[in-house]
Amino acid sequence: MALVALLSIALLAGLGFGSVGISPGTTLRLLAWKLGLAERPAGVPASTVVILFDLRLPRVLLAALVGAALATAGTLFQALFRNPMADPAIIGVSSGAAMGAILVILSGAGAAFGGLAVSAAAFAGALATAFLVYRLARLGPAVHVGTLLLSGIAVAAVISAAISMVMAFSGQEIRSIYFWLLGGFGSRGWAALGAAVPFVAIGSGVALAMTGDLNLTSLGEERAGQLGLEVERFKRIMLATGALLTAAAVSVSGLIGFVGLMTPHILRLATGADHRRLLPSAIVGGAAFLVLADLAARTLVPPEEIPVGAVTALLGGPFFLFLLRRERRSPGAGA
Amino acid sequence: MPEPEPGPGLVLEGVSAGYGARQVLREVSVRASPGEITGLIGANGSGKTTLIRVASRGLRPERGVVRVAGWDPYDLSARRAARLVAVVPQDVLATFPFSVLETVLMGRAPYLSPWGAGRPEDWSRVRSAMSMVGVSHLGDRAVSELSGGERQRVILAQALAQDAPVLLLDEPTTHLDIRHVVRILTLVRGLARREGTAVLAIFHDLNLASVYCDRIYALKEGRVVARGAPASVISSATLQQVFGVRADVLPGAAAGRPAVVFASVPQEGSLEPGAMRVHVIGGAGRGAELIRALMERGLEVSTGVLHATDTDAAVAERLNLIRITVPPFSQIDAGSAAECIGIIRKASALIVCDAPFGPGNVENLRIAIHSAREGVPTILLQQVPIEERDFTGGEATDAWRRLASGSAVTPGVEATLDAVEAIRSRGARRSG
Repeated sequence: MALVALLSIALLAGLGFGSVGISPGTTLRLLAWKLGLAERPAGVPASTVVILFDLRLPRVLLAALVGAALATAGTLFQALFRNPMADPAIIGVSSGAAMGAILVILSGAGAAFGGLAVSAAAFAGALATAFLVYRLARLGPAVHVGTLLLSGIAVAAVISAAISMVMAFSGQEIRSIYFWLLGGFGSRGWAALGAAVPFVAIGSGVALAMTGDLNLTSLGEERAGQLGLEVERFKRIMLATGALLTAAAVSVSGLIGFVGLMTPHILRLATGADHRRLLPSAIVGGAAFLVLADLAARTLVPPEEIPVGAVTALLGGPFFLFLLRRERRSPGAGA
Repeated sequence: MPEPEPGPGLVLEGVSAGYGARQVLREVSVRASPGEITGLIGANGSGKTTLIRVASRGLRPERGVVRVAGWDPYDLSARRAARLVAVVPQDVLATFPFSVLETVLMGRAPYLSPWGAGRPEDWSRVRSAMSMVGVSHLGDRAVSELSGGERQRVILAQALAQDAPVLLLDEPTTHLDIRHVVRILTLVRGLARREGTAVLAIFHDLNLASVYCDRIYALKEGRVVARGAPASVISSATLQQVFGVRADVLPGAAAGRPAVVFASVPQEGSLEPGAMRVHVIGGAGRGAELIRALMERGLEVSTGVLHATDTDAAVAERLNLIRITVPPFSQIDAGSAAECIGIIRKASALIVCDAPFGPGNVENLRIAIHSAREGVPTILLQQVPIEERDFTGGEATDAWRRLASGSAVTPGVEATLDAVEAIRSRGARRSG
């Protein structure tokens, strides 16, 4: 509940602040009017309406959507790998998605970032990476977590190198690809939102339906099997779901780190580890977090815009270190 | 779905299993019947945990038959198998701070939907499992904060919540203090008796296995080397074979079940290679103290001829010594005497204890005289004069005196040990 309130406030703030300020009251009245609940409020300039509905609203909603997707993917990967440090970026899935997206953009098949073709290519890249890492890590009858993380790091490094090489040969496109890679929601518009919504909806729906099984995996694969989980099949479904969510996020907003890592980690302190509570919280909390991060990115040093990925890293890094220190000092506390 | 075959409980028949090229179980057949606790004992790496894994659908065997409550678990979904067989592992990872209540509810997973909402009957099952193992008061605590013993009880509650007719315990008491060990094992036995649960449990503590098991299987290098009631499996000979250690087994000492003591017996490793062997002629318990003292010095001991029910014979059996026995109250027959002389001939020393001698065992003194003449260094342990323990009307006294004239006579165990030491160093000088 507190998280929903936080998200509402974040959304209103995200809509209100900027080069042109819009008060929460005006925002709410304009929203009510658009939804057909009220008359068009008097005395509101047409430019405000354009800014709100064509610029701010899609941007804020996109930030919320991407935040929810990344936080969900992070929660899935952490549960699956029984490691609170797991994250779409760490196991290489984000890089894979980026690679897929860039290849489509450079080939000219995708007209712009956020198009359906780009999303599909990002999904293909993320999925391919997830399963490549899974295959590499699969030495015996089961995948071991340590091997999986190491494979992920190695694959991510190779893909990052490949992305750099592709960019070096990309000529005109290099600047736009570079800024896209940094991560951001500027001028993506309603089209990007429309491209990402179905993927995120499917991905989070699947994840929410399997929260009980996610709990089992945290006891270890063997124990989960003893408690009735078809572990190998479940891992494949979760890998695919995580890849889908990551791809949806990456294809519309580039590489934004720390959301998938931090959100579940912080929320676990409040809700406990049970995914039946943690996952819904992570969806709402991740959305709120990224809306606020985006707000900070575009208002802190006007008129310049900081890449939102830099903001999340700036916020996330120190906070994460703080958590780590606190956990070290009193083992088990804060759980 | 195939029809369940007759024979509930757990049945493994001719099971061979392993990991890749490494074969761990070879042709193992084990049965755990409903209402009983079946124990598994064996050294590390003998295949006990692998057997549990095979039985719980965790490792498909290369050959052989596995039946859980009549079903082949490998023909069932993981979910259906988990309703038939529950496992209590040695320990469980607690990566994330799940509460005790949430953790025990996971035991209901085979009955729940994938999002895992508990119905009222699930919660009541969870609560009763928690109170059975005594963790009700821990409900909201995070499992990651608990002590090893508390966590083990929580995992047991989780397995009990599964309501499975077959329960597999992989060393369920490793982290527990003795109060909880007794409580948990009594609980498990009650569960078996009341609900007809078939329990298969790995035991490291042989005394617990002896007291709580109805049947015991001993595994060595992936094979079953002994099986049966505790009284037959928990024996010095079997433990020597299975673990390669000498154990002092007291038959019937644990309320009718065998009890095992290790500390008093020197182990295989403490025997120097080619350690010298001393033969002890005792009787009526006069040899027991000396036998133990000799073994603690790292010497090998043989004994005889003894009557089978004699205290010294019981000690020799418990310590698994080379021994020659004859039926109770019988006279020592010529065959046993000759056999005994053969054994003494290869010993480095002979010690005759101050046992009472009667018609039944006076033959032992003749054996000793014969052996002394053959040149075996002989020591007489005399704390009680021969006249007070001669029940042959003089024959034993004569024989004892003849023996004493050519042997060392010592007044106590310590002096006897010194005399043995002297013989040993003479022998070492001679061979060196």
